[in-house]
Amino acid sequence: MAYYAVLFAAGFAGSFHCVGMCGGFACALGRDPRGHVASLLRQLIYNTGRLTTYCFLGALAGTLGQVICTPGGSTVSVLGGSLDAAQRILASIAGLVMIAVALQFFGLLRRAKHPSVSFGLDTFTRSLRGLLTAPGRAAPLAFGVFNGFLPCPLVYAFAAQAAGAANALQGMLVMASFGLGTFPAMVLMGSIGRLLAPAWRQRGVWLAGSLILLLGLITLARGVLPLSGHIAHGIAGGSPA
Amino acid sequence: MNALGDELCGHCLLPLGPRTIWRRLSGEERAFCCYGCCIAFQVRNGQSEEWEAALMLIRLGVGGFLSMNIMLFSLLVYAGAFTGGDARVLPWIELLLWILATPAVAILGGPYLREAVIDGRQGRLTSSTLIAVGVGAAYAYSAVAVIEGSPHVYFDTATMVLMLFTLGRYLEAAGRAKAARSLEPLLAAESACATTLVDGSEIRRPVREVDTGMQVRVLPGERIVIDGVVVEGESHADEAVMTGESRPIAKAVGSSVIAGSINLDGPLLIRASGPGPSTRWAQICRSVRETLARRSPVQRVADRLVGAFVPLVLALGTLTALYWAHQLSFDRALLVGLSVLVVACPCAVGLAAPLATSIGIGRMARLGCLVRDPGALEVLARTDRLAFDKTGTLTSGSAQLIAIESAGAAPREALARAAGLERFSEHPLAGAITKAAASQGVEPVLTHDVRVTAGRGIRGRADGEIVAAGSAALMRELAWPLPSALASRAHAQERAGYSVVYVGWGRAVRAILSLDDAPDPDARATIEQLSRRGLRVMLLTGDLERPARRLAAAVGITDVQAGLSPEAKRAVLDQHRQRSEGVAMVGDGLNDGPVLAAADVGIAVGSATDLARETAALVLPPGGLWMLPFVIDMARRVRRTILGNLMWAFAYNFIALTLAAFGLLQPVLAAAVMAGSSLLVVANSLRLERLPDPVRASKAAPPSGSTPACGVDVPVRVGTAIAAE
Repeated sequence: MAYYAVLFAAGFAGSFHCVGMCGGFACALGRDPRGHVASLLRQLIYNTGRLTTYCFLGALAGTLGQVICTPGGSTVSVLGGSLDAAQRILASIAGLVMIAVALQFFGLLRRAKHPSVSFGLDTFTRSLRGLLTAPGRAAPLAFGVFNGFLPCPLVYAFAAQAAGAANALQGMLVMASFGLGTFPAMVLMGSIGRLLAPAWRQRGVWLAGSLILLLGLITLARGVLPLSGHIAHGIAGGSPA
Repeated sequence: MNALGDELCGHCLLPLGPRTIWRRLSGEERAFCCYGCCIAFQVRNGQSEEWEAALMLIRLGVGGFLSMNIMLFSLLVYAGAFTGGDARVLPWIELLLWILATPAVAILGGPYLREAVIDGRQGRLTSSTLIAVGVGAAYAYSAVAVIEGSPHVYFDTATMVLMLFTLGRYLEAAGRAKAARSLEPLLAAESACATTLVDGSEIRRPVREVDTGMQVRVLPGERIVIDGVVVEGESHADEAVMTGESRPIAKAVGSSVIAGSINLDGPLLIRASGPGPSTRWAQICRSVRETLARRSPVQRVADRLVGAFVPLVLALGTLTALYWAHQLSFDRALLVGLSVLVVACPCAVGLAAPLATSIGIGRMARLGCLVRDPGALEVLARTDRLAFDKTGTLTSGSAQLIAIESAGAAPREALARAAGLERFSEHPLAGAITKAAASQGVEPVLTHDVRVTAGRGIRGRADGEIVAAGSAALMRELAWPLPSALASRAHAQERAGYSVVYVGWGRAVRAILSLDDAPDPDARATIEQLSRRGLRVMLLTGDLERPARRLAAAVGITDVQAGLSPEAKRAVLDQHRQRSEGVAMVGDGLNDGPVLAAADVGIAVGSATDLARETAALVLPPGGLWMLPFVIDMARRVRRTILGNLMWAFAYNFIALTLAAFGLLQPVLAAAVMAGSSLLVVANSLRLERLPDPVRASKAAPPSGSTPACGVDVPVRVGTAIAAE
């Protein structure tokens, strides 16, 4: 369970980063004129949409890892013992991605330029604005779903972690923990409708960076250190069977 | 707005195919060529914060939410979370999946079902039919399974297939819209508005209501929507779309501007020189629209194949399911059948040709080069012979001074006197003479009392004596003697096809000037590039043998047939057509119409003012000869892209279909790969956008290397003139 607690914490800390972009969305979703409860509901619906997408991405990444690691198609749990070569490579890549994202959080790595082959992503993002002001319960849900797919380094980092888990269910749980971690700050942000002080946001970002760096290093170690299977177990040990 | 406007998709501007969808959006009836374009259009116009547009996104978002949840719960089921002690929860989970799946299938699958029903009523089976049948079967089976308490439900498959197809169609449409962007400026003419200035107040009105003499204000960055003359302001204009000229052109009071060009940096007030709908821009717009709405031969074949393919796949899917039902459980067999239906969806085949063709047409249109028949591109790509129809196509239309021969006077003096006279004339030959004088550094002799005799020449008074320049008839009229040496030279030159101007003063003819059509400055480089592309270049002309050969030699053509009547030209073309893949003919569009029409592809350089009467399939802008190699390249690229797309689409369908029929492909995976195949076709076609624009060798860059383009200019032999006697 400790493993998922770390993920939750990283998500929580990371959400101080999120408030930069997604927090803006949450604020823009606005408050329901029917009162605080309705406003909170609106925020919860939005975040539920987002969480669903994260879970989906996690499951997808986990499945991808699973497909790569088990060419035969049989299910092999990470917890099953020895790690084969494919799993090691996958873990190394996932770890490196996480470390890169962490360094980016610390400002040590320049943000990669987004490729121009966006296939309509730009227009898509712009047109999402229309959803923010649309009335009804469905609009925030839809917005949350799309929001979850928007490019974000945090999501990349945890998707990499999920892929490293090489199991659909575990991947989903990784992303779910992270997504739930982002809940408090986002809901709060949307309900208060005000952004957090920059200093606090910076602290949150650093904390998130540290946690992601830690997770990344462990994942990388799982990939490169010999006989390191049990290291991972030490952290991931409490995961539900 | 008009009948033509309805033939193109409101989003991607491709012709409306069999998948046409009509939607009423923001109070305007719009047609889309497919469901993907319909989504993409609404997503793009969601910027306008309109509830209707947002509705589509909400539907997609909610559909996505439901199907992702279905998938996650199914994942839990597959992972064995509900085994052992939790097994009694399983029926409730299945019920939950059903509850989630029903709205998801309704939301995401509705459009496909509607399409399938509409097509079905018209007796057609399309890819939507495949999706509707496949997904419907999976949903219906799962629903029955829930009621019967069977352990296997496939709601996740049904919804994920729908999700992937919807996503694929959206991405496909987004890619197509990207391709359509280069066509937008050309199609904008019909809906464009102009800011007219009436009694000091500005009124916006459609361009078609703008009439001659109206004043139109154009702000920087705006498109100039009418032909006219600048009456106020100073700016630069980008005329690339109309003339292919990529450099900005300075505009000031009195300069003429062309509709379709863009006003770059200063506000302009323009007086319209003609009514709005008669500009070349508006004509091009209509022509491009007509072209896009037409289907090329390859496309027609592909459409027919798709039409025949779908029932075949339906039958195959059913047979596969029946076959596997003998060996596997019914639900597994059903899934295999579903895989077959999903994977065989021939979307990529239908997309192979129109996208590549429109991009090709758009790329050329941006240079002012007009394709009037999409089939022409396909033929041009195959063509291996190119005939230039008229010497005029290869000449610049302006004459140039070739030689001066004088008797009893210095050649330079003859030129100085002739130039002194011709300064007052607007005759094409006169321009060549004054230009030659200027380039030789010869000062024109001051001449008074200049009088032009139409068709004969020009005369005036200089240094107290009469000077005249013109035809032999003028000299006879003046009764000036012609030295016999000059007379024989003049005869020889005239027989050789030169224009001869006689120059006389002091009551005698003193010199003859020989002039010739100047080759187009781009001609030599163009011919060379065409030959390098493996084209056999010929000159078929009605002109005299000798000038034709001279011109051919100057521009680098060896295969010349001169003195041909139009009928003879067509006969020659027919001979070549029997012996080759295709013959393209380049002419000037005005006089060569019938001959151009007789070739496999007629290419007009410059054209009739009324485009509707144009017979050529391809129209280059005036002076656009240099674009010819690019046009050939583009046509070949388009053809290669279409063939590549078709090959990929068919090969893909065949392989995937085989895998699916053997039960080796999961339906969800099949849907993902299917969407991927359409995307690949789009991406492959979009590569055409990256072919670099052609560079004009003669002006854009100074010629370098061993074959200078200035070899085109025949040096004037003034210095070495034969002084008779």
